[in-house]
Amino acid sequence: MSELEKLRVVIGYEFLKHIRRRRLYVIMGIALVAEALVLILIPALQDGYPSSVMVMAAILTVGPSLAALGAVFFAGDAIAGEFEGRTGFILFTNPIKKITLWTGKYLASFLAVTLLIIFSYIIIAVSLGVIYGEVPVEIVESFGLCVLYAAAVLSVTFLFSAVSKGAMGATVMTLVFIWVISGILESVLAFTGNPYWFVISAGGDSIALVYGNMQTFMAGLGLGDGRFEDVFSGYEPLTVGMAAWGMIIYLVVGFAVSLWISRRRQLA
Amino acid sequence: MSEPIIIENLTKYYNKFLALDKLNLRVPEKEAIGLLGPNGAGKSTTLKILCGLIRPSSGVAYIDGINVVEKPEQALSRIGAIIETPEFYTYLTPVETLNYLGRLRGMSVVDLKKRIGEVINLVKLERWANVKIEKFSRGMKQRLGLAQAMLHDPPILILDEPALGLDPRGVVEFREIIAHVGQKKTVFFASHQLVEVAQICSKVAVINNGKLLAFESIVEMEKKYQTLEQAYLQLTGGTGE
Repeated sequence: MSELEKLRVVIGYEFLKHIRRRRLYVIMGIALVAEALVLILIPALQDGYPSSVMVMAAILTVGPSLAALGAVFFAGDAIAGEFEGRTGFILFTNPIKKITLWTGKYLASFLAVTLLIIFSYIIIAVSLGVIYGEVPVEIVESFGLCVLYAAAVLSVTFLFSAVSKGAMGATVMTLVFIWVISGILESVLAFTGNPYWFVISAGGDSIALVYGNMQTFMAGLGLGDGRFEDVFSGYEPLTVGMAAWGMIIYLVVGFAVSLWISRRRQLA
Repeated sequence: MSEPIIIENLTKYYNKFLALDKLNLRVPEKEAIGLLGPNGAGKSTTLKILCGLIRPSSGVAYIDGINVVEKPEQALSRIGAIIETPEFYTYLTPVETLNYLGRLRGMSVVDLKKRIGEVINLVKLERWANVKIEKFSRGMKQRLGLAQAMLHDPPILILDEPALGLDPRGVVEFREIIAHVGQKKTVFFASHQLVEVAQICSKVAVINNGKLLAFESIVEMEKKYQTLEQAYLQLTGGTGE
């Protein structure tokens, strides 16, 4: 049996795991609630929806961004869980290359998170269609970037899972890295006029960036009266292309390093 | 007679702790060999190296002439193993678990279906075959562990305390199964239970502090030390007379 066939088997059973676990549906629910809140609160707090469909589309990316972060919960236990839960004592005594096993787990998690992202983009498309009577073509680019962001987040999670003793530790470390450390670093670099495309949270920002820049969104929300001029004066705008490169680097390096580490890891 | 398991100068350090000290052992074909020794003697370390779970610090181990460290997948294709108390994915049922592991071993869907039925019957898990493993007791997982080890009908079984967690009836059934398959397979198994070893094995290897102290037939040991228990106690520095 070829490693490719084994890979297919691993993907199938790992995907079954994601389908059967509650976390898939919890994340789906959170993304749904996030979109619902945006759709309810914006007209409630100001006079109707923004006039520009692009601004509303950008705001609604909160749903898919959360869905992409769901990757952390799918992959946190991918490697660490086999050691912590000692299921590796059964799995690793089978004639399968570790690289096949980890790749299968990665692809199954990627499939699951892509399902979530598709779900949240369907909500966005339907909402925009109903409210504005149109869906901007940029939604396709936004979707592509969101999937790329999810793949990068998955790789980073795999890396933390490869070095962690437990699945919970890997999940928490990844969330702190992406939400706290990267978020702070990105803000500091951006508002001091330095490039920040290489920070992973910038990848998340690029999902909305296809609809316009920060100033456009501020104006669209009625905040374009110069109140944030000082903040934006030295701001280095992020380009979609550079953000995409940043995410590709995280995707490739994170996954390759996690494979290297987990291959060396022993189940004593 | 060929020797499907060969261990040569196997040494393993965990940081500075020496778990195996140039261990040498050759397990003959189609015999059930018990690996005895006190806690920390190096039994589990030996079996884990044979199963490719850990790497030796030096020395080599061969399964059917295949170097376990250099070609782990090839070596693993010839064995069925239970290491420690087996844990399984709780979201799967025994049938799904065996399907998964059988597919990874390259078994065809048709063969697998038939064989899963056989091993499930063998370990008496028929009633639980389609129940999620999250509801399983330790003993039931042990039974499933034995089922997965024998699923692909391997020529070599490597078992680490395989009766741990089984109820008395389960222990008896397990001994019968191993005694039966031991006539056709090479069985290498670690245990603390001298009675169990005496009932199943033809020969025993006694190790302590990572070194081989004796490797003889039980009959020879009983001649020398009167009982297997006395042999064990004297060899491992206990209170034997």
